[in-house]
Amino acid sequence: MLRHHMQLAWHYFKQEYRQPHQKLLRWVQATLMVFIVTLTLSSSTIQHYLQGNLQNLLGADAVLTQKDKLTGKQLTSLVNFSDIVVNTLQINTTLTFNGKWQRAKLKAVGSDYPLQGQLLTSTSFKNAATATNGGPTIGNIWLDSRLFASLTITIGDTINLGDHAFMVSRVLIHEPDRLMEGHNVSMRAIVNIIDMEKLAFPTDLIQHRYLVSASKSQVQQLIDWQQAQLPAAQIHHKQGVHPLALFWQRTENFLGLASIILFFMAAIAIEQIAQVHLKKEQYFSAVCMSLGASKATGLQLSLFKWFINILVLIPIVAILSGAFHWLIVGWLANTFAEITWQLDVWLMAKTIATSVLLFAVFHSPVWLTLYQTSVAKLFHQNQKSLSLGLIKLCALAVLAWVALTYSDNGLLTLMLVGSIFITILLMAAISWTVLTVGEKATQQFSGLIPFTLFMMKQRLLSKSTQILGIGLSTFLLLFTLMLLKDLGDTMVSYQRTHDGNVMVSQASQSQMNAIQEWSKEHNISLRQSKPYLYAKVVKINNQTLSEFTTKPSDSLATLSNAIRLHWSESIPNNNRVVQGQWWQKNTKNWQQISLEEEVMIDLDLTLGDKLTFIIHQQSFTFTITASHVYKPGAGSITFWVQMPQAAIEHINAPQYNMASLELNDEQWPLLSQLWQDHPTIRMASLQELTKQFDKILAMITQVISGFSVMIILLAIIVILSSINAFESKEKKKNSVIMSFGFLKNTCLQLNIIEWLITALIIATGAIAGTYITGMLIYQSQFSMSYQPNLVVLLITLAIILGTVTLLGVYASRHSLKSSVKQLMADV
Amino acid sequence: MSCSIELKNVSQSFQSNCSDSNSCESNTSKNNVSTITLFENLNLSISQGQSYAITGPSGAGKSSLLMLLSGLEKPSSGQGCFNNDNHTSALDNLRSEIGFIFQQFHLLPELTALHNIALPLKLRGDKQAIKKAKHWLAKVGLSKRANHKPSQLSGGEQQRVAIARALVFSPKFIFADEPTGNLDQHNANEIADILFACCQENNAGLVIVTHSNVLASKAQNIYSLANGELTKTNASLITPIFEEQQVEKVVINTAQVAPC
Repeated sequence: MLRHHMQLAWHYFKQEYRQPHQKLLRWVQATLMVFIVTLTLSSSTIQHYLQGNLQNLLGADAVLTQKDKLTGKQLTSLVNFSDIVVNTLQINTTLTFNGKWQRAKLKAVGSDYPLQGQLLTSTSFKNAATATNGGPTIGNIWLDSRLFASLTITIGDTINLGDHAFMVSRVLIHEPDRLMEGHNVSMRAIVNIIDMEKLAFPTDLIQHRYLVSASKSQVQQLIDWQQAQLPAAQIHHKQGVHPLALFWQRTENFLGLASIILFFMAAIAIEQIAQVHLKKEQYFSAVCMSLGASKATGLQLSLFKWFINILVLIPIVAILSGAFHWLIVGWLANTFAEITWQLDVWLMAKTIATSVLLFAVFHSPVWLTLYQTSVAKLFHQNQKSLSLGLIKLCALAVLAWVALTYSDNGLLTLMLVGSIFITILLMAAISWTVLTVGEKATQQFSGLIPFTLFMMKQRLLSKSTQILGIGLSTFLLLFTLMLLKDLGDTMVSYQRTHDGNVMVSQASQSQMNAIQEWSKEHNISLRQSKPYLYAKVVKINNQTLSEFTTKPSDSLATLSNAIRLHWSESIPNNNRVVQGQWWQKNTKNWQQISLEEEVMIDLDLTLGDKLTFIIHQQSFTFTITASHVYKPGAGSITFWVQMPQAAIEHINAPQYNMASLELNDEQWPLLSQLWQDHPTIRMASLQELTKQFDKILAMITQVISGFSVMIILLAIIVILSSINAFESKEKKKNSVIMSFGFLKNTCLQLNIIEWLITALIIATGAIAGTYITGMLIYQSQFSMSYQPNLVVLLITLAIILGTVTLLGVYASRHSLKSSVKQLMADV
Repeated sequence: MSCSIELKNVSQSFQSNCSDSNSCESNTSKNNVSTITLFENLNLSISQGQSYAITGPSGAGKSSLLMLLSGLEKPSSGQGCFNNDNHTSALDNLRSEIGFIFQQFHLLPELTALHNIALPLKLRGDKQAIKKAKHWLAKVGLSKRANHKPSQLSGGEQQRVAIARALVFSPKFIFADEPTGNLDQHNANEIADILFACCQENNAGLVIVTHSNVLASKAQNIYSLANGELTKTNASLITPIFEEQQVEKVVINTAQVAPC
């Protein structure tokens, strides 16, 4: 019997294959599956790549990194847990040559370097790279090829660092312990470890890295020792996770969260399609039952048909996802050297199975209705079905699942879902207002426009569903595109209006004094200057970070490294307290902090929670007493964590400053001297920042453009689905109108007017929704004030009006193929 | 001013794909496409203010004849014209002067009874649409059902609304296809009376296609279409005796118009 039902389902599947609602359903499901499968495959490839990288690019079995040099006792302990220990030092510095400067990472190594892997260098650009044992000899420096180009330097030239001269003797090709730098694009240079000591850089700026050769058990002992003795140090080992793994997990989560938008649109489309589907399946099942078939038969047939529909899609989805995955891996090859495409069939199968399960949830109300159907339904076609409400509930359940699965930033998720909800309310309100007011206002007038408004008002409920469906799609599309454009524009303008065109991100107290003198001497305006010290969060409420939370987020990623801790007596001008109370001036209670709101939300922290910091190898515990947010308009330097001024008297740690400077064109060459005297000042010019930003923006543009294509595709499907859902009603309406003596032309005119009004409501709602979302998300996520461009908004309005009307009228052309004859034939 | 519709020597035929060769008797070509002729060289004249009933067996072409008369379809041969005040024009020009009544009523489900009736007037930009619709609602005896939607009305009530809707914009002709086909005998009689009375009061020509002898007998002119021939039947020869069995005989009684 089952086989017979399957054959029957196959027969009906073939019959219904070309019906619009089935076609649309296939499009929605295929589009979503391709997106999800491609995202999962790409993400998995990256994680595999990083894991492979960890094995090959660590340059040791374990690497211990910390800001301070290990004490003799600590070093002895470390040696006890390992076979060999190799010490390297690293510092961010600025190299200058012939008036040119370039930021670079300077590494100092001894003759015992490298521990594992090969150090490749070359005596000239033309010669092949050779494996080298040990770093440069004293007085020599090796530079990577980009530094040669940037400083226009050649082998044999002499470069000055502080008071010391170094001869450029080799081209640095590859270091085997680059993993820790991840995909940092900083330029590289190597000197001898003895020279580093001679340079006498401030000790707190030097990063000490210990490469360790150890067995698995020794590594475990090492980890236990580090957690107990050096909680602020970082340890990476071959059995652990790649330092970038968390970052890519977050990237995947961000894209996954963005897919909530796609799921939302798919939910709208499926909901519209289900209205047609439900009627047809219910009718078919009731007819079968009236002919003696059991209830189970109708249900089985429907299930089989749906499953065949999915099965047919799977090969197409697999091929397309594989192809897109291949393209993405090719694109990622620019970032991840030697990443290779490999298809994980099992992962693909699992992802497809999950998607199918989600679609089954979307579709389940149809089956529930079939389960409840009876022959009596044939006589009562217009019963209000519980299932349409259920479809919406199921869609909500799927959306909630997607949001929870991918959410690692509670605030962003809340904002995104909240904005969608606000837009729904906004669209409903605009629809009701425009149609009610429009109908009332035009009651005394004659013509097609008043008639259309009257008809739309009468069909307010069904029309609202259509408007909501298309409107939300338009809103989502618009928001994605606006995000791309406004993010670029606002950030650029933000940087242009930035107080200063040189940003000092790290200057020690003596360096800050030098900057102040230097700026005074050359009449350079020093706009802002704020002190801070480095602190690493090791415990929250007496739990380690990893015990406290495992949910990846921006905040967690930042807190995993040392953060900048600022102190201030009063609330900084560019901050606003949103929770709790800022400390009183001259307070004696110095162990309290104010935390940025986003960190509080991401880590689910509340006032009264306690954070333990390691500051310069000492442990301090602070209580959260306030939460603050960034307030634009009073300088851009802001800090996530701030403490009272009194605290600084109790903490013995190196202090640094952030500052901003404004240089005019003639003053730029003066920077070279400042850098030569103080190579470790971390400064970036606006041009450098812009360049970095442009690179990031170019990448974001590519990702968002690809994403927009998906949204456009789904938006078209939503429009077609909504029209398909109302096609029979529209056809009947047009036929009835023609039976009053009107021509098809009148129906076409009415159709155009109706779509224009619909498009106007949609455009207004979508633009208003985008505006509100922009205000919410831009402010909370990017700390930027949202300033939309009115001209762009008006052009957008015109484009939406034109596109929706044209698409709507074109897609409704079937409903215009109606005639009075059809009404007569309808017996 | 009286007008009329005239069909002169019209024939109507259509092509059909024939899967069963036995069922296709005439003009079957090699690729199984057959031409089915409904009627040939048919002549008929319909005048405003008069009522007409066209009866005949299923498939005889009654509805096709209705479509030709209303100008919604073109004949295969021959011609139809619309005479208005000694001015003759093509039937296309008749479109704004006609109304339809269907077996399935075809009211718009979202609109109330009142708004369904007001629909054609609103579409024409009539500022008095609602007032006139209320007047017609009263005429068909449904004043108390003004705000009810079609799903809340019985079949008979829906058809009354449909009649009011068809007549509210004062068309010169009304074409009704089985207007009582979906109603019980009692309701059918009531609806027929209302339909004939309203058309007469509005001086509208009424053309009804029906299987019902009782309904047909109310028309002033009764035609029978069978075997491709249209025959005018004498009203006195028709008696509505086999109504229950739906026997398709041309039985005519005197047209009796109820006061509207």
